[in-house]
Amino acid sequence: MKTKQYSVKVFEVVLEDEERFISFFDKNYLFFQNHLISIIGQKNDRIERYLQEKALRYVFNVDIPKKSTPTQTQMTPKIPEEKKQPKEKPIQKNLQVLDKLIRSGQELNIDGDLLLLNRVNSGGSIIINGTLIITQVVDGSIRCNGNFMMLQASNKANIVFHDVEIDNSFLQDKLNRVELINDEIVITPVLKEKSWV
Amino acid sequence: MGIVIAVISGKGGVGKTTTTANLGVGIAQNGKKCVVVDFDIGQRNLDMHLGLENRVVYDMVHVMDDGISLKQALIKSKITPNLSFLAASQTKDKSVLESEKIKKMVEELKQDFDFVILDAPAGIESGYEHTIEFADRAIVVVNPEVSSIRDADRAIGILDSKSQKVKEGQEVEKYLIINRIDPKMVQSGEMLSSEDILDILNIPLIGKIPEDKGIIEASNQGKPIILSQDAAAAQAYTRIARRICDEKVDFVDVENDAKGFMSKIKGIFK
Repeated sequence: MKTKQYSVKVFEVVLEDEERFISFFDKNYLFFQNHLISIIGQKNDRIERYLQEKALRYVFNVDIPKKSTPTQTQMTPKIPEEKKQPKEKPIQKNLQVLDKLIRSGQELNIDGDLLLLNRVNSGGSIIINGTLIITQVVDGSIRCNGNFMMLQASNKANIVFHDVEIDNSFLQDKLNRVELINDEIVITPVLKEKSWV
Repeated sequence: MGIVIAVISGKGGVGKTTTTANLGVGIAQNGKKCVVVDFDIGQRNLDMHLGLENRVVYDMVHVMDDGISLKQALIKSKITPNLSFLAASQTKDKSVLESEKIKKMVEELKQDFDFVILDAPAGIESGYEHTIEFADRAIVVVNPEVSSIRDADRAIGILDSKSQKVKEGQEVEKYLIINRIDPKMVQSGEMLSSEDILDILNIPLIGKIPEDKGIIEASNQGKPIILSQDAAAAQAYTRIARRICDEKVDFVDVENDAKGFMSKIKGIFK
């Protein structure tokens, strides 16, 4: 018997409103080209035709085995001693601290975590597989696959967290924490309102 | 030893050549020996701004490739004897530029002049890279609009990675000129504010130039606007030229300097 084992990136979506579904994929389908889209909801001709047109692969109402932590996309074989340790993810790995303005056309590829003390200008980009904290405004593009990211972005920015584009209107005006909690992206403002000052 | 200043912008049409011409005259009027070099190989322009169109015999490429001496190619300005000009070639393109030859020419110019001002071509291709290669300082010219800012940002990024000084572990000093500021549009909030631009580009400001229709007329006639000192833009260029010569000159609020109806009313209530 010949077998092969793959890990596949699955994007799960609950189908409620057709229009919203289509407009969402219109905007983001590039991110899902290498994903399997798992749709939960009523099977639907129009949606199927649409997805085929976009050459996206999908399944309807399939119970896909999931790990509880969706952030772990890669499984690396570990030596037994490490296995005994608690499964808690390290909060920090290879932290770099940079005070460098990311200008238009510059791309920062980071393996590990990054604390950036400067701006990301329009046209600049950061691709990072760890946690990302940026203390000044982001106008450029961010691809982050870490545990969480903390940033403030203008409406010009293009922020993608774990392959999902984040709506900028949530990120404006103040520092925000973006993280994955049980498959869902949660955005929380870091500072409370200072109205009492 | 002279100081080499590259005038850059990234985007075209923001006023690099106009700025180069005016600053060249301004610095020369300040008593320093100054040479302006048109680095826009293939598209000669600076000669017209300085009113020297009919005087060009030899250009930069003749100096670098054909054994013509700098003395033969340099043109003395009619405006002030302190100012000289070296033309770009119109027949060749930027592929003729070679680092070694540029270095030799720039070094030679540095011996004879206090300031060597290089007018960079628009864009960020090889012509631009060669202009910034041996610069000690850069003057970044922007207009208060988003595409100019982004292109300038890109140009600064390239400057910070490709200039000779940076490769030697030093830094190229960069200064910002915000050109074509329309006081009316700034007051009504339609234009990007200088604070925003400085936030984005993160380099020190050396001056702001208000929009002035006289500038086009001046360029057409080959008499840089700086010679008509009643124009606000002329005064702004003079201030910048003095700052380049290390004088301390106070900044003037060109945005609110308009003699418009609204500012008059505001003036009454001040």
